[in-house]
Amino acid sequence: MSIENLKPYFPWITLAVLVLLVGALNPSFLNPASLVQLVADIVPLFIMALGMTFAIYIGGIDLSMQQVANLVTVVATVYLVQYGIFVAFLCIGAGFVIGAASGWITTRQFVPSFVATLAMGFIALSGARFLSGERALSMNADARDASFGWMFGNTVGIPHELVIAGLLLALAWFLQSRTTFGRALKAVGSGELAAVASGLKVDQIKILAFALSGTFAAIAGLMFSVKLSGGDANLANGFLILAIVAVLVGGTPLTGGVGGVINTLVGTLIVVVIRSAMVYLEVDATMQQMIFGVILIVAIAMTIDRSKMRIVK
Amino acid sequence: MYQLNKVDKKFPGVHALKAVDFKIGRGEIVGLVGENGAGKSTLMKVIYGAYQPDSGTVTIDGKAVRFQNPRQAMDHGIGMVFQEQSLITNLTVMENIFLGFEQQFVRFGVINWTAMAKAARHQLRKVKLDIDPSTVTSKLSFAQRQLVELAKVLTLEERIDGDLVILLDEPTSVLAKEEVELLFSLVRELTSRASFIFVSHRMDEVLELSDRIYVMKDGEVVDVVEHGQANIDAIQHKMVGREVDKQYYREQKQHPYDSGKTLVRFDRVSVAGKYRDVSFDLHPGEVLCLVGTEGSGREAVLRTIFGLERPSTGAVAIKGNPFHRATAQEAVARGVGYVPRERKVEGIVNGMNVYENMTLSQMGKYASHGVLRIREEKALAENWIKRLSIKTPDVYKDCGGLSGGNQQKVVLAKWRSGGSDIFLLDHPTRGLDIGAKEDVYDMIREMCDDGAGIVLVADTLEEAIGLSHTILVLKDGEIQKRFDGSPGGKPSPFDLVHHMI
Repeated sequence: MSIENLKPYFPWITLAVLVLLVGALNPSFLNPASLVQLVADIVPLFIMALGMTFAIYIGGIDLSMQQVANLVTVVATVYLVQYGIFVAFLCIGAGFVIGAASGWITTRQFVPSFVATLAMGFIALSGARFLSGERALSMNADARDASFGWMFGNTVGIPHELVIAGLLLALAWFLQSRTTFGRALKAVGSGELAAVASGLKVDQIKILAFALSGTFAAIAGLMFSVKLSGGDANLANGFLILAIVAVLVGGTPLTGGVGGVINTLVGTLIVVVIRSAMVYLEVDATMQQMIFGVILIVAIAMTIDRSKMRIVK
Repeated sequence: MYQLNKVDKKFPGVHALKAVDFKIGRGEIVGLVGENGAGKSTLMKVIYGAYQPDSGTVTIDGKAVRFQNPRQAMDHGIGMVFQEQSLITNLTVMENIFLGFEQQFVRFGVINWTAMAKAARHQLRKVKLDIDPSTVTSKLSFAQRQLVELAKVLTLEERIDGDLVILLDEPTSVLAKEEVELLFSLVRELTSRASFIFVSHRMDEVLELSDRIYVMKDGEVVDVVEHGQANIDAIQHKMVGREVDKQYYREQKQHPYDSGKTLVRFDRVSVAGKYRDVSFDLHPGEVLCLVGTEGSGREAVLRTIFGLERPSTGAVAIKGNPFHRATAQEAVARGVGYVPRERKVEGIVNGMNVYENMTLSQMGKYASHGVLRIREEKALAENWIKRLSIKTPDVYKDCGGLSGGNQQKVVLAKWRSGGSDIFLLDHPTRGLDIGAKEDVYDMIREMCDDGAGIVLVADTLEEAIGLSHTILVLKDGEIQKRFDGSPGGKPSPFDLVHHMI
């Protein structure tokens, strides 16, 4: 078995090694109850990374996700009392529309996705600031418990957050592996020109991929908002880089076409383990972003398919 | 003065240059002709240092030299004027002329623009171009840019000692008649400064300008003709003349087509800048071959049928229905299958397996409400792997890892299994070995027998003639001549070349 054949398993190996390493340093890390809690805590991040997977899988990127989530925390907080549980539709619809707009700008106006989504992100951020009046808002506690309290319960020791994450993962996996849409995403990611020459509606597929990443960002924002019982234009800050790191470390390269949502699960777990290791090792909070920045660069350099890139600017 | 002795160059699967001898004297103009793939470009690349020969020697004034890259060749006085112009269009003329050699004008780290302009004017005078050297290159006409390119190469004169050899690759292909005349008189005058190697598709021009002509075929120099004795017909015979094996192109399996039905009708179709006034009918069972040089518009015709180019005037009808909003999706829905020239980039998706590639154009047929029936996809793939004897360990093999011939079979299986009956084949045998080529020829006959119509852009003239029922010769975007290719009455390559160049 050569190194090349092993490559798809690198993320799993990395995860296993990291878990054992951190477990050796701090045996209490391996306590099942604390592990479950640790994982449950990062469900919003995982959902955002799932969405990011779609954008990166087609060879693009969605930098607006953090701001979409920010906007959604505000929308959810402001309209919860008025609409109750149906505020979820409003939130998810907003994510879908913003994502689709990014996709439209990318495919029809030929603006590279990193710029298109960056710009849409700022638009979403402005929306969040305007709607929140630049204040940190709190949710109406009664309305929150009535509509979304179920999200944070437990059934036979399993936090409901994990169940939601599992369902979304199953849905994303099904979309990616079992549907014509998922197959088309793979074709666009691995060989867009061949997809065009096979008569696929490549523009539509790309727009839908960005719409999906926007939708997942909105779901992540909604959960985060309910979890913290509030909304604020800066609430989800810091998620973006972690979501990108999770996707790339999981083995979906920026060039797209390989990897997928299961890889993102592994990648997210790697991020969590690294983060908790840094807590045990008492790495200063301000240093953590720096470390993730370095990991991001290393992950990109290791996973990218250079045969697909002629010029890098 | 400059000489190649028994120069040999091999690429995987191709013997590109076979013991080529070549020489050029001071002040000479030497012509180089040959069909596509005869080895002209490889030879030129060896001369200007982009390729290194596998064996044989290159000598200048008797001394052996070896160039690792074009820059070293330039240092020995060898310059290239590229067909696709190598000027950077958003720089000024003088910046282009001295690109990479600005150091001579630098004082204290800053470029002395006045000095550069003066030097550039001197170079431009050599090519009789009276323009301001600080003009941005994109403002120049094509002919002017070509002269700037020549001026750029002529800077070698000041930079090096010794003689200059300048390669001109298809310099006239986009020039008007008068511009060609100007260029030729200029080149003749410049022979006092340099020797020229002139490559062109236009035989009359090569004859007019060259002191000596090298004729290439299949990587060999098959003839060297002196200026006085040159005769177009004789040279063209040498360029193409090889016996065509009827069996090889499966002529015995060529059956008459059904002229009662029309699959594709082009009625005076034009695409701006690509081709004009093209009309033809494609019938079931017919192989219609578009013949012409690179840029004659043949690929653009294929792309129009597939909906990737929109006609500016004229009407395209597929199976009797006009094509309104041309898109590839509509073409596929109407039974058009496209086998692109860039097999690895446009043909297969590198990174997807055999069955995923085969159903890519027809996923709807293997899905209920958007959910794929993967078992049926695999069954389809296994069936076609057997039918076309595709060599792959299983249906899970990444198509990027298959050999060229098997990749092509996967592409053909994709369209055939989807029920396409109009096939657009763009260089379907490019880069395949002989066995794989014969497989493709067999498949073409088989598809015709199934009632499909095929529009073909072939790799060689022999292939075009051997395979086709009808041949359309295109030149500069216009149909020059239509030939009938029924077995027994096929034209010769020589007949076609007449109308191509």
